[in-house]
Amino acid sequence: MSTQENTAQVKRPWRLSLDSWAVVVALLAALLIRAGVFKHIPW
Amino acid sequence: MADAVVIPQVQPMQPALRFLRIVPGVLLLAAIGYSGKLLEQNVGAYAKAHHWVFPNIEYVLWAIVLGLLISNTIGVPEIFRSGVATYEFWLKAGIVLLGSRFLLGDILKLGGVSLLLVAIEITGAIAFMTLLGRLFKLKPKLTTLLAVGSAVCGVSAIIATKGAIDADDEDSSFSIAAILALGAFALFTFPLIGHYLHLGDRAYGIWAGLAVDNTAEATAAGALYSDAAGKLAVLVKSTRNAMIGFVVLAYAIYWASQGQAKAVGNKAAFLWQKFPKFVLGFLLISVLATYQFFNKEQVGALANLSRWAFLLTFAGVGLRTNFRDMRKQGLRPFAVGAIGEVVIAIFTLGLVVGAEKLFGF
Repeated sequence: MSTQENTAQVKRPWRLSLDSWAVVVALLAALLIRAGVFKHIPW
Repeated sequence: MADAVVIPQVQPMQPALRFLRIVPGVLLLAAIGYSGKLLEQNVGAYAKAHHWVFPNIEYVLWAIVLGLLISNTIGVPEIFRSGVATYEFWLKAGIVLLGSRFLLGDILKLGGVSLLLVAIEITGAIAFMTLLGRLFKLKPKLTTLLAVGSAVCGVSAIIATKGAIDADDEDSSFSIAAILALGAFALFTFPLIGHYLHLGDRAYGIWAGLAVDNTAEATAAGALYSDAAGKLAVLVKSTRNAMIGFVVLAYAIYWASQGQAKAVGNKAAFLWQKFPKFVLGFLLISVLATYQFFNKEQVGALANLSRWAFLLTFAGVGLRTNFRDMRKQGLRPFAVGAIGEVVIAIFTLGLVVGAEKLFGF
């Protein structure tokens, strides 16, 4: 058997992409604003 | 006995440690962004009080310029780098939140027009960049990376394509450097050209979204012109980003057919993996806003939160742009990118002016 065939498949732990994290955080912030936790965000 | 393959055990970094590592850089982004905001408010007032003639410079430009100054003089110290790299995260979160300022009807109307323009832009840009790469005798995979970078969405598209077509690290570094340098150039020239040509906010925003490659630079180039132009630039750029999977898939299939890349297995899974998820988040928030899930004050709060996220992004754009590093990457790929970008900018400007006459947006 060759070394290539024996090369172990290293399983990467499942992780959210940067894109998905940005969506999750933004949606969470939107829900907090909707729930009235943050009533006013100044600019 | 089979050969033993020893896989080094790499200890993953603890989440708390990872979080702590980004804190200094995020604070630096916030400090630069907020300084930009203070400069916008105070420099104009100071000049007016002293009867000086001074143009009103928006926080967007101040934040970018401050970042550029630090990056190109003292440099960004190691301790801040992980946090500064989060500017992409803030950009995407900001775009999702910006969805609250779009009603679904507007997105469908403008999205339909921009989808058509984006399709023409992507086809034209890929064809032209491929021709240019051949004329300049660039390596075929380097040409592919430059074509994808200028046609679709800059650095993200180059990174996605690099993995799919097994391109060299050196080729992707060349392409990324060229696209970043040209993006920085576009950031300052597009608003000047727009004002010179007296483009309306809509026409300019669509043009910036079509022609500026990186999402951060397209957002900044739009915001530098006006708030309305910034919104449009983000919408059109997001439409372009949504095409990334299809373009990368087409290139992956092409290079696999040439025996120079791995074959693509499940095409639907491939498309989903490459699809920018923030576009879905943007649409979701827009649907919620359209059906009045948020009241007027809440929409205002979401829009302001989006501005704060963009503030960090613009500081990051300046901080990660280092002209010395870009010069090291060589002239030929840069020349191909530069010629391509100028032609694409003129081509897309013609498209936008034509579409404005045709559709009257």
